[in-house]
Amino acid sequence: MTSIGQIVRRGGAGAAAAPDPVRDPAGTSARSRRGSPPVRRLSLRTRLRRDGALLVMVLPAVLLLGVFAYVPMLGNVIAWQSYSPYTGFLGSPFVGWANFERVFSNPLFIDAVQNTLLITAFQLVFFFPVPIVLALLLHSVITPQIRTTIQSIVYLPHFFSWVLVVTIFQQIFGGAGLINQTLRDAGLGSGFDLMTNPDTFLVLLTMQSVWKDAGWGIIIFLAALSTVSPEQYEAAAVDGANRWRRMWHITLPALRPVIVLLLILRLGDALTVGFEQLILQRGAVGADVAEVIDTFVYYQGVIYGDWGFAAAAGLVKGVVSLALVLGANKLAHVFGESGVYQKS
Amino acid sequence: MNTTTTAGRVGDLPVRRRSFLGMVAAGAAVAGVPSLLTACSSGDAPPAVAPGAAPAAGVLPTYVPVDYVEPDFPGVNGSTPGFATLPTELVQSVPEPPGSGSTFTAMTPLWGTIPPRDGNQYYEAVNEMLGASIEFQITDGNTYGDKLATVLASAKDVPDWVCIPTWNIPPRFGSEIVPNLFQDLTDHLGGDRVKDYPNLANIPTDAWKFCVFNGRLYGLPFPGEIITDATFYRQDVLEELGIAPDVRTGQDLLDLAAELTGGGRWGAEDLWVTAAAMHAVPPKWRLEGDRLVHRVETEEYRAALAWNAELFASGSVHPDAVADNSGEAKTRFQSGSSLIMSDGLGAWHEALRDNLASNPGYWQQPFDPFAADGGTPVLWKGNPANIFSFLKKSDDAARITELLALANVLAAPFGTTEFDLVQNGVEGVHYTRGDDGLPVPTALAATELQPTYIFLVDGPIANTRVQYPGFVEASSTWQQKAAEYIADPLFYAQQIVEPSQYASIGQPFADLEKDISRGRKSLADLDAAVETWRASGGEELRTFYQEILDAQ
Amino acid sequence: MSTGSGHAPQIDAGGALVPRDLAQTADGRAAAARRRRRSRHRAPWEEPASPLGAVVKFLVLAGVVLAVLIPLWTVVLTSLSTQAETIRVGGLVTVPGELTFNAYRQILSGGIVLRATLVSTGITAVGTVLSTVVSVLAAYGLSRPSSLWHRPLLFVFLVTMFFGAGMIPTYLLVSNLGLIDTYWALILPGAVSAFNVLILRNFFMGLEPAVLDAARIDGAGDWRILARVVLPMSRAVVAVVALFYGVGYWNAFFNAILYINDNAKWPLQLVLRSYVLQGVTLPGSGVGQVDVATGAVTGLPVKMAVMVLAIVPILVVYPFVQRHFTKGVIFGAIKG
Repeated sequence: MTSIGQIVRRGGAGAAAAPDPVRDPAGTSARSRRGSPPVRRLSLRTRLRRDGALLVMVLPAVLLLGVFAYVPMLGNVIAWQSYSPYTGFLGSPFVGWANFERVFSNPLFIDAVQNTLLITAFQLVFFFPVPIVLALLLHSVITPQIRTTIQSIVYLPHFFSWVLVVTIFQQIFGGAGLINQTLRDAGLGSGFDLMTNPDTFLVLLTMQSVWKDAGWGIIIFLAALSTVSPEQYEAAAVDGANRWRRMWHITLPALRPVIVLLLILRLGDALTVGFEQLILQRGAVGADVAEVIDTFVYYQGVIYGDWGFAAAAGLVKGVVSLALVLGANKLAHVFGESGVYQKS
Repeated sequence: MNTTTTAGRVGDLPVRRRSFLGMVAAGAAVAGVPSLLTACSSGDAPPAVAPGAAPAAGVLPTYVPVDYVEPDFPGVNGSTPGFATLPTELVQSVPEPPGSGSTFTAMTPLWGTIPPRDGNQYYEAVNEMLGASIEFQITDGNTYGDKLATVLASAKDVPDWVCIPTWNIPPRFGSEIVPNLFQDLTDHLGGDRVKDYPNLANIPTDAWKFCVFNGRLYGLPFPGEIITDATFYRQDVLEELGIAPDVRTGQDLLDLAAELTGGGRWGAEDLWVTAAAMHAVPPKWRLEGDRLVHRVETEEYRAALAWNAELFASGSVHPDAVADNSGEAKTRFQSGSSLIMSDGLGAWHEALRDNLASNPGYWQQPFDPFAADGGTPVLWKGNPANIFSFLKKSDDAARITELLALANVLAAPFGTTEFDLVQNGVEGVHYTRGDDGLPVPTALAATELQPTYIFLVDGPIANTRVQYPGFVEASSTWQQKAAEYIADPLFYAQQIVEPSQYASIGQPFADLEKDISRGRKSLADLDAAVETWRASGGEELRTFYQEILDAQ
Repeated sequence: MSTGSGHAPQIDAGGALVPRDLAQTADGRAAAARRRRRSRHRAPWEEPASPLGAVVKFLVLAGVVLAVLIPLWTVVLTSLSTQAETIRVGGLVTVPGELTFNAYRQILSGGIVLRATLVSTGITAVGTVLSTVVSVLAAYGLSRPSSLWHRPLLFVFLVTMFFGAGMIPTYLLVSNLGLIDTYWALILPGAVSAFNVLILRNFFMGLEPAVLDAARIDGAGDWRILARVVLPMSRAVVAVVALFYGVGYWNAFFNAILYINDNAKWPLQLVLRSYVLQGVTLPGSGVGQVDVATGAVTGLPVKMAVMVLAIVPILVVYPFVQRHFTKGVIFGAIKG
């Protein structure tokens, strides 16, 4: 056989505690993957000299964000103002926490938060894993032509507008849709209407999201999978690992960091769910199930030009999101993952 | 994540809700004027001059009507006059190009494809007629509100001439933006001074009334029609079915919809606008004794909801309409899978445009107005203007005079060469004359000729769609009949800018109208919502309006 | 860089259950040959799929592909139908009827479309290169554990994912920087996506530290390591991030609405949008409202044609990205 180079093994060469993935089903290898020794306290000057190049590399991005994200972010001061575009940030009177109080005192806000979290939770379970499974499935297709063909088809719905996606679903699952027509023609009644049923709305939303974005979502996993060398599989196969064990011990660990990262970021985004998708179907199922935080802010604040209200709601969301990300990150550490931030 | 910019992006959503004024932005699936609901917009505390107070004498321009062509179907009570033929002789209403060669920038929305600026023969021809050139900054109409909000926040970016649709008016527009950014036109157009601009003097007074902010005249109007909506049915299909509809009550309409439903065909689309019209639900407020009553508090509103809920419950509504897919409502109606539909009157000729070629027998017809109980119907007047434009404040009086002179040209009515050029472009370039004398657009027209000037100012409306056989007559006679029932809603034609903290309290009713219609909620929920409305600012709003009423 | 020499022994092979050279036994070779005959692409060590598994896999993948292709077919078909046809069927067309290229002809004949395509291509090209370079640099700069200030810097990125700036403050900034009506206004405000930086960083951190250490011991600085070691090993993820940026720039239209007054500078998406909006009835417009008879086709076919045209660029670009997904290509690169 050709080389089973140490290099292709993560945690190979240098790392002392580099267990063989096949023989280490507990998966401790992943945890020790980042094998750098703890840093000793160095003087700032030493560290500057050592990391100066890194800082220079980060600089352009930080400058761009500083100018185009942070400077206008100061505009969020209007959350504490009775803001008017004409008088501007300097001229608008301050109103304390009044805008925040209006957000929290609105009974619809609580409903919107509940709906948002429910949808997020449902989609975490039924949507988030789909691209991973699809990517693994595609990865297991052996003929390259078939694999690349399928790859270049499944992502296409990502480029459809939500209007079109909803229309397509309506033509299939609606009361005048394909399924219902078939049922009616077969004399099986015509009660089937997935599009207007508030009770199954979560399922509908998730189906639509999966159809539209799962194929696009696999791209990042395909990139991660391409970092796995065939030699690793070969070595494992030679060591007697069957396909499932190879998937478990080689493929999944290769995906794990990116899965964890995306999961953390999705948790941080827990308060954001498909705005367009929901606003399009609000009338079909009613605001009771379709009102989420973003649509709430839109209807209560934005379309009436109530910028202070919208800014206050946005800030509340931002704080909660950041807290969620940091919390999820901590949780990742508990499970031995590095997450967004690593422990230090 | 970022609510403000996220919301900015929703301009392209088919969030199509009817405003209290019954406007509708229907059509393309990606159409939508989300903030239509805010028709009267929001703002802040009342300015020094009570908002809505009747303008002082000499503020409104004197109305001097000119008729270059006699209408075949004159307007009744202000309804749109109809012209069954195009005049053979056009009048040039402004003898000389009034401009002095200046260049002005103008910002307008456009619901259509962007014409090229360079080498555009349409622009060149109109500019030549004006004697000045107008450089357009055109913005996609559905996101125009966002563009406006930003530009108005940055005084140096405000162009010379700005179009502002009523549904895009930003908060505190009347109290802060108008007086600070825009030119007070009272001294140029008020009273008899407008007679220097005869085409502007030809614009009806109600439209000008709507351009008054804080007691002063600021805007130039794009006049609206007083009858905006109708309930259409597919007369051609019904004829085939051997049904001659005779709808005089709400029950009649329910029965008809039920009769038409079956076999993969449904009787109706969502008829909420029809329900509100037949019950004469007031657009916003009504005076009961000396107490103001909001539309959501009225019995009529309740009855309209109950009626629409009955319609949905009967199973006569197309399932896609139940799913609130209004974007394709016209397609369903025109394909004959639903047969009754509420729509703007403008949808009538558009349907003919889109269908007559492939289906020469196509005809949709509005029901004559009727009241739910069979009594005398009431039709509330539509906004006298839905779009207006403002001139940027300038110390240079000559510049303002020049702009107004240009506006005078653009406001030329039907029957003038100016109107003809703005409407049809240049003969031989943008259109040719067909055998019947009607202009036939050329391929170049599709590229170059888009309605941009009309968003700056427009003359009085006229129905001149002679290209569809029988249309002007049918439409005009229907309007003449309907206009007999026309009534002014309270606070008609007044610019009232509500305090912004109350702006959104009406929002739950938009949801409730859908929920109750579709049987997800009951009228008991309406009572609760009205209570909430009162508690969360409705009473303050009532007081706010009461003060305006008292000041009149 | 070490490319393991020949038969490198497996680390910690204690208790090996299977002789490593099984595949080289005569039996193994024969079996491998048989398998090779059955599937040209199956690696010699790979066991054949179980019939049931193959059927299930086939059905699932076929289902997935059909679920995409059938709606896509109706969209393409609708874009090729006449408006009369869409009205006749009352929506999207599923069975070919009267076919025409009118919708495409109408969209593409407008003089402004060609120009807008050039504008969009330019913005996308410049923007994607800029964003990708800046993001790769930042991601590498933040990828070394325990480097100076990396935690506060990372926080700087993270915050931008959750706290947005309002539309008006951003506009005022762009206006005061003098960027109104310049293409930079369409590139700079969204040039850095913290999400993409985090993705890149995540991949960079997953790279074999030993390789980096080895390079460092050889005296390579960070710039050199990034260019010679990290980038060649990360071509897939860099391609993906470039794709994300590219798609973002190509599809963006909202910034152009706010920052570009000169319609000749509009990007393609904004121009295409205007075809979708065409034919919208204005609020309050009745029979009399002056609308100009341009004879333009509106309706579903045009909308669907716009949708199809939106997909075309990605169809062109995707294969170039996909090349980097091929199994093992990266390792070839390292070794080569």
